Amino acid sequence: MSTAAKRRLIRDFKRLASDPPIGISGSPNPDNIMIWNAVIFGPPDTPFEDGSFRLTLTFSDSYPNKPPTVRFVSKMFHPNIYANGELCLDILQNRWSPAYDVAAILTSVQSLLNDPNPASPANVDAAQLFKENLKEYERRVKQTVEQSWLDNPDDIEIDEPSTSNTAQAVTA
Amino acid sequence: MDMSNHPLLSSMDEPPPFPPSHPHLRRLDRSVVCQICKEPFQAPVSIGCGHSFCSSCIRSSLDVMKKCPSCNEPALEGQIRRNRALEEITDSWEESRPIIYELAQPPPTKKRRASIQESNSKPSSSSGTKRLKPNSSREGSGSRSQSPIKSRRSDDGDHNSLNGNGEMEDEEDDEVQELTENDEAPCPICQATLPISSIPLHIEKGCPPPKTKTNGNGVGGRKGNQKADWKKVFSGQGLGGKSKDKEVEMKRITKPNYSLATPADLRSILSEYSLPTTGDKPTLIARVQEWIILFNSNLDTSHRSSLSALRAKLSDSENSKKRDKEKGKDEMVNQLGSKDGLQKYAKEKKGEFERLRKEIIERDRKRREQEEGKGRGRDNAIEVE
Repeated sequence: MSTAAKRRLIRDFKRLASDPPIGISGSPNPDNIMIWNAVIFGPPDTPFEDGSFRLTLTFSDSYPNKPPTVRFVSKMFHPNIYANGELCLDILQNRWSPAYDVAAILTSVQSLLNDPNPASPANVDAAQLFKENLKEYERRVKQTVEQSWLDNPDDIEIDEPSTSNTAQAVTA
Repeated sequence: MDMSNHPLLSSMDEPPPFPPSHPHLRRLDRSVVCQICKEPFQAPVSIGCGHSFCSSCIRSSLDVMKKCPSCNEPALEGQIRRNRALEEITDSWEESRPIIYELAQPPPTKKRRASIQESNSKPSSSSGTKRLKPNSSREGSGSRSQSPIKSRRSDDGDHNSLNGNGEMEDEEDDEVQELTENDEAPCPICQATLPISSIPLHIEKGCPPPKTKTNGNGVGGRKGNQKADWKKVFSGQGLGGKSKDKEVEMKRITKPNYSLATPADLRSILSEYSLPTTGDKPTLIARVQEWIILFNSNLDTSHRSSLSALRAKLSDSENSKKRDKEKGKDEMVNQLGSKDGLQKYAKEKKGEFERLRKEIIERDRKRREQEEGKGRGRDNAIEVE
């Protein structure tokens, strides 16, 4: 491991493995430490509860001086998450600090779920429903929660083989 | 947790943490850690707001954004000041940590602790306020081991001896000659840098100038020359064909204006420090930028590395990036940028995501069990209220 970025990523992994935040796990891709896979559980007592959402983080050699790109792989319905899974989160953009590590990023993303910022919407529908029709918003969110279960084919509750395509079909 | 057998986790040695019964010692551990690299300070410096970081960490951070990583206050490179006290504190904490770690253990280990203390007491008492070079002292006391990047090896196996061989270091101004990752060292007589194994023969022959394997015209602009250039750099020849270490002024390098600088300007900076001058402008800029950080932060510490060690670091990181590119790792990252690429990746890594999900479930179950065991009494108390 000969770049500062890689050293730091190993350190981040150690911290995440030894002191994982509740409802969060992640680890670097075995073939490429610059790509991480992560799973975030929706925070309890929110419409996102029970959802298990998958995401990827991609780092550059400038990490931690520049933030990673975080993308949801699971389909999301959230005012600050774009259709392609990328998210609009201040600490991943202009409020980034090299003092953040992977555990801090994933914790922020998790708390963003129930604390959206409708002022800078990435998903206009979600932002509007969140402001004007909270009930419908929550219904749509719960749909994505159910879809997140479909991502896990060997889950006991749902025995339906699924791919992300079927997951998308459910929304449509 | 089954992440514990991940190959990456074993690749970095870390000292065991202090037990939770000693929160103040845990705090002390944290306080000598740089908030950027999350490792013990190397060449600590302070900026305007009073926060401290490793010199190289804050220098590369300020290259990207001009604010303090800890408090977000505007910060400039000109504010960087050496923090000598913090370096002293970090070094002495690293040295004494194993002893204190033993002292913090429960009683049964007392005997072992006493013997360790004894073996360590000699160097520390006789060195007074003066500092050992970290390589000998850190390894000798079994303290935190760092990766090849940060650890420095001593060319002397006798860890506890203070005499001779330059183990003691008083001032930061004399250039410290240390081993590079390539196991090269300066000849004690003529100072030419050579592989250690060939030094005895070299002296026997009366110190002939070291030979280069490649022929001398290295300053061309062709990309293929890079490897040969690095080779020459390490053989102590420099790209001009003679050793330049002695001529290099140990003075901070002023950053050029990268948007205005021509490739020729950049090459002239590089050749001044006997570095390869191959590659296109972005390559040259990256090399100059990284070199300036390495060189300038090396002036912010009492444990200076030799110029050849700095060059080795630069080449190491350049090579690592190049290898990643060749292996298509960068492409792999780009692939995730498209929606299809991302979904394809997700499908390939399905098992991995599933493992992560199960890990959370398993962990939550354990946590709940523990909390239920512990918290029942308290919950009742609240209910009564």
